[in-house]
This record gives sequence, C-alpha cells and structure tokens, in this order.
Amino acid sequence: MQNISRREFLSYVGAVGGSSALLKTSLAMGLMTQDSYSGPVKIRPPAPGHKPTVLILGAGIAGLATAFELEQAGYQCIILEASFRPGGRNLTVRNGDKIDEMGNPQICEFDKQDNLYFNCGPARIPGHHRRLLHYCKALNVPLQIKANSSKMAYFHDDKSLNGKPKRIIEYHTDVRGLMSELLWKSADANQFDQLLSQEDVAKLMTFSKTYGDLTENGKYIGSERAGSTTDRMLDYPKPPVPLELKEMLDSRFWYGGLLGAEIYDWCEPLMEPIGGMDAVVNGFLKQLDNAPVLNAQVKKIFNREDGVEVTYERGGQFHTVRADYCFNNIPAYFMKGIENNFSNTYQTALDSIKRGHLFKIAYQMSDRFWERDGIYGGISYTSEPVSQIWYPSHDIHASKGILLGAYTWDPKVSAMFEAMSPQQRLDAGAACGEKIHPGYSQYIENGISIPWARMNHQMGCGMQMSKDDFKQYFPMLQKPEGRHFMIGDQISHHSGWQEGALASSEQALTQLNLMLDKQIYAGGERHVK
Amino acid sequence: MLNKSFLVLSLLACLAFRVNAEQAVTPPGLEYCTVCHGSQLKGNSNIGAPRLSGLSTWYLSRQLRNFKQGVRGAHPEDVTGKEMMSMVTHLSDQQLTEIVEWITTTESELPRPSISGDIQSGKALYKSCAVCHGEGAQGNEQLGAPKLRGLNDWYILTQLNHFRQGLRGIETRDAFGQQMQAASQILTTEQEATDIASYIQQLSITKSKS
Ligand SMILES: Cc1cc2nc3c(=O)[nH]c(=O)nc-3n(C[C@H](O)[C@H](O)[C@H](O)COP(=O)(O)OP(=O)(O)OC[C@H]3O[C@@H](n4cnc5c(N)ncnc54)[C@H](O)[C@@H]3O)c2cc1C
Repeated sequence: MQNISRREFLSYVGAVGGSSALLKTSLAMGLMTQDSYSGPVKIRPPAPGHKPTVLILGAGIAGLATAFELEQAGYQCIILEASFRPGGRNLTVRNGDKIDEMGNPQICEFDKQDNLYFNCGPARIPGHHRRLLHYCKALNVPLQIKANSSKMAYFHDDKSLNGKPKRIIEYHTDVRGLMSELLWKSADANQFDQLLSQEDVAKLMTFSKTYGDLTENGKYIGSERAGSTTDRMLDYPKPPVPLELKEMLDSRFWYGGLLGAEIYDWCEPLMEPIGGMDAVVNGFLKQLDNAPVLNAQVKKIFNREDGVEVTYERGGQFHTVRADYCFNNIPAYFMKGIENNFSNTYQTALDSIKRGHLFKIAYQMSDRFWERDGIYGGISYTSEPVSQIWYPSHDIHASKGILLGAYTWDPKVSAMFEAMSPQQRLDAGAACGEKIHPGYSQYIENGISIPWARMNHQMGCGMQMSKDDFKQYFPMLQKPEGRHFMIGDQISHHSGWQEGALASSEQALTQLNLMLDKQIYAGGERHVK
Repeated sequence: MLNKSFLVLSLLACLAFRVNAEQAVTPPGLEYCTVCHGSQLKGNSNIGAPRLSGLSTWYLSRQLRNFKQGVRGAHPEDVTGKEMMSMVTHLSDQQLTEIVEWITTTESELPRPSISGDIQSGKALYKSCAVCHGEGAQGNEQLGAPKLRGLNDWYILTQLNHFRQGLRGIETRDAFGQQMQAASQILTTEQEATDIASYIQQLSITKSKS
C-alpha cells in the first residue's frame, strides 16, 4: 500500500468495486465531502406471492416518485388525480394547453414551435438537488444549463437613480468598490489594531484594494470591471460613472438582485430539462405500470383496521376503493374539505399548513430584443409589481422567445394580480416591462398568467407554517396516521422545490419500511386483502 | 384512451371492493365548487369557503345572483368574496339554478365549534338578531333573513365583521344586505361578534339533536 498513491489506489477500487465502491472509499478517505443522499429508499419487498396494494392520491412529483419506487419494489399502485392532467405544479404549457385557473380558464396561444414553451411552476434545478438529478438521470431526462443570472441584466427601482435601470454588473462592481473603500478607510484609521497584527492589517488593505478595484490611496473611482461607455475594442475604456455611497444605500436592490446568484438554491450553474420541466413528469409516466386515473377527485379517506378506504368522484360517479396503504399528495389545506376519520390532532396538524401565493406571467415576444442588449438568459429585478423578468437561455438567437414577465412572491402583490382579469394582468405586466426595456409592449404577441393560489386543485404554492406550528406539527405529519402517509413538498423543510417533494416521498417510504419491520416482528406478513 | 381508462377502472374493481355511496353527485362542470367548499359542500375554513349544505334555496339564489352582478364580493378588501365572485361571473342564470338545486341535495355533518366566544353573552346579544333570523336561527324568508343554523361559526364571524366594517351590505342594489349592515352596528366589538357566532354554533347543535 505504501508504494501506491491515493489516486492509484482509488482507480483500483473503482475498477474492482464499481463507482459506488469508489464513492464510499473516497468518502472514507476524506477526499469528498459527505453527502447524505445515497439513492432512493430500498423498500422492503413483499412476501413471495403477495402484491400489496397502494393508493396514491395526487399525481404531483411526490406522488409519481412514490408510485415509481413502490412499483419497482413489487407493489401495485393506483394514482388518483383530480385534475385533467398529471404533474401538479410541475406544469409546462405550449400552444393550445389549458391553464386551469378557477374562474379564469386560459388557453395558451404561443405559436406551435418546440422552443416556445413556458414552465409555469418549477423552472430550475441546482446541482445539489441530488434526488431530482438522480431521477433525471434514471428516467433519461436530458438537461441543459439554465442561466439563472446574467450580469448584463438590470436592476430597476423607480425611486432610485431617477428610475433608470442599472446593469447588474455595474451595480455589483460599485457595491464592491464602495464597501472596499470603507474597509480600507477603517484599516487606515487603525480600527483593526486590536483584532489583527500590523502585517495582517496591511494584507487586509491590499485585499480591499484588489476586491474593490481601488486606487493606490484606497479610493473607489469606478472600475473597468463594470464595462465601458466607449467601444472597448477600438477606444480606451471609460468606466461608467460610479454610484455614490449614499445613492447605493438609498437604493433597494440589496436583497433580490444583489443576492440573486449568491444563495445555495440559486448557485450557478443551474439546470433545466431540455424542452420543458414536464419532461420529469413524462419520464415517470413512461415507467409506471398504471397511468394515473385522471379527473378523479378524492372526497373521503378512511383509515380501516388493515388498510385505507378512499372515495373519489369521477364523471358524476362515486367510487370507493380500498388498499393496504395510502400515500397522500393532496395539498394539506384541502383535507378539511375531504371527509376522513383522522384524529383531531392529525387534522389540526394538516390545517396548520397554509396556502402560499406565487404568481407568474409569460409573454410570447416577436423578437428576442434582450439579446441585442447583450442579455442571454438571467434575470432583471425591479421594484415594480412584476418583481422579475427572466430571459430564456435556451434557443438563443431563435426568432421568437417566451419571456417571463412577472414572478412575484410577496403575497400582497400576488393577491393584487390574482384579483385582476387575465388581460388586466398582461397589461399591468407590460407597463412594468416598459420601464426596464422601453418599447417592450410592442414585442408582445400574446401572454398567459398563472396565479398559483387560484389554480384548480392547487389553490396555493409554497407551504406556509408558523414557526410554532412547524415545531409542533411537522414531525407529526412526517409519521403515518394509520396506514395513511402524507407526502409532497409540504412535508419538507423545502416547500416550493421539487427536491422537497422527493425528500418527503423518501421519508414516507422509510416510514413504510419501519411499519413493515414492526409487522414482521409482530408475527408474519399481514399483506392480506 | 377510452380503452386505457376502462382497463384502469376494471383493475380498480378487482383490487378493491366498492361501496355504493348514496350521495349527491357533482353536476358536470361544477366540480370547481367542491375544490374549495369540499366534499358534499361541507365547507373548508382553510380556504375560507363555508359549508353550504342546508342553506335555503331562496337565500342561495339571491347570493349567487349578488356575486354574479358584483353586488357582493366587489369590495377590494373582501378577498374571499372576490374569489367567489370570479367563480360566478361567467355562469348563466340556468347554471345558477342548477347549482342551487344541487346544493339542496347535499348532506354533510354539522360543523364543529372552531372559535370560543362567550355563549351567555352571545345569547343575550342574539335577542335582537332573533327578531328576523328566528329564535332557533332557522331564518325567515318573508323578511329575507337567512337561516344561520348549520353555518360555520368562523364564517358567521367573518361575515358579521364584513357587515360591521362595510365590506358587505353597502351596495344600494343590495337592500337586504343594507338592512343587515345597519343591524350589525349594534355590535361594537370583535368580541361581541365572536360571542354571537359561538352562540349560533351552539344553537345549531342543540336544536338539531332534539
Ligand atoms: C411558481 C413556482 C415556481 C417553482 N420553481 C421551482 C423550481 O425552480 N425548481 C423546483 O425544483 N421547484 C420549483 N417549484 C416547486 C415545485 O413545483 C413543487 O415543489 C413540486 O412540483 C410539488 O410537488 P408535490 O408532489 O409536492 O405536489 P403538487 O404538485 O402540488 O401535487 C399535488 C397533486 O394533488 C392533486 N390533487 C389536489 N386535490 C386532489 C384531490 N382531491 N384528489 C386527487 N388529487 C388531488 C393536484 O391536482 C396535484 O396534481 C416551483 C413552484 C411554483 C408554483
């Protein structure tokens, strides 16, 4: 062993034991950081000759993944889905697709072209969402890089810099310069002498000079890092006039834009399935033995001694079905309207999950005008109600493009859009867009709006639970009640991300394993009808 | 497509035994109502959608018309009212009639108490309400006063507050609403509104037991 290097040893392990052995050995040798994810749960297989039955309520990502894993393990699954389509919030729309908003159904009028689609719900996948990426790989869902940030895009605030949009690269450069200047000044005024040695203070000053592109005497006077107001190829560069410290402090770009690419879930590069996020849904559907039963709205759920009984309505008829287990993907706030025999505490726990309000607009643009402005993908942030404008990073230089014209998280702003008619929303969104890209409206050919808190069978996105409720009820909802298991991103610390939905499924299946283990100890299989 | 769903259904039939439910089926196109108002329109406080089963036909018709004509739900602060308004605006009069007929065929368990007001205080306050709504909160069609028994206490409270605060009953086209808006002014505090709602809740349970 002494004679071979670590690398040689690892390639030996890899050759003999395959990649998983390699991974384990690398982890053991401290060469890679430990990641708790090691693939889907291994579900305890049923006893020979048995095919336990499972009802899965809702064909969201959590429901689909749960069905997929259970089928692989030898269980018979039926998915009951209330909507006319599977996928839940994973919704990609194209020409002719229906957006099933309560009271305001819309039909997507994008041109019939492969590149003209819109991800109404999930749109991006970071590299550390290991579960989702596992399924993308296993289900052959091809991915591409999605530019989630473009430093060429804009910050805009009507109340600052006279409402003039500012390129993100300029703002970032100025913020860094101004902050570094303060740091340099403090160091120069001996503010750090208690904390650092003289030598380290000198290093700090050099650091701030480099970090902020300061002059020899610690001044920030603008930087070529922000670009140039002249043609840099033929002329001497002339940096844009920098922000004043006061202007920077008065502007409101600190959160959204400033941190747009700095937060773990948004850290570059992000990914997206080629051709639309619903490729993940289709990937699952292709593998399932039984397609979800659509237009099947669950109305009753009753735990029985040796299984779960569910009543659903479909085409004006009630159907009551029974199975050994039930995994429930239905948004928890609907459960009060669904008859059940849950304990009061369990129902109270379900009620503690509140609706969230996310809202998106998308426009079909006749021309990818943003590309002429140097923007290829990424996001502009604005203080206007639309909050964000996303530029597609797929199909660059195509003739047309689908632009995200609004993405709001503030419940008040979303509620304002929810109360409008679809046309009013598009008009309001266009007026906001004009402020960032003059002439914006003239490119709009058609558009759609998706208020998630008004979508049929959803009525919300982004589970909201008070801190206290979370502490009290979340652990309870992670456990089954009888043979009924709650799943969905609502049963995770990360609601609003498909990874949370998949984690909930994994967690519930782990609970199933525990239950099965107990049944074994209690004396034999009880997978009986 | 047809074949596929048939297959799935026959599969369901064999993996599970069915029980024929004797319940009001949802008329085609009205599935939306049950998304918020729940199974057999039992109500769902999480969505702010009240129990509807048991309400009188004449009252239901009037309210649906009010929503459709923007008489109710138009106030910008009446969020759930506005949500309801957008569901009704596009419906025809014929559809509204169908909805009412269907609602009257639904049956659901009586709501359980969800707020805790002072029932004795509520009882005293309710005396003036009883003039129109009746001692047992059974309603009075001649006076246009709806039945309150069987409504959710949280919904009664919300609506009392809406009347008190002028979110409901300020439209000139809504004569009955205006009457109620005026009547609601006898309540001076949120607590009093809570007490009344709790009393009516209590009333619904006791009366229906007897
Ligand atoms: C605007 C927006 C942006 C997002 N961005 C991202 C992103 O970039 N990346 C990412 O990974 N995630 C993102 N998400 C989150 C992602 O969409 C969700 O985490 C995920 O899709 C949730 O899946 P789920 O299985 O938990 O539930 P859902 O998708 O909500 O599924 C619930 C299912 O239950 C069905 N149902 C409801 N009632 C009944 C009933 N009575 N009977 C039967 N079925 C019923 C519904 O129709 C639905 O199909 C975003 C979501 C939104 C809305």
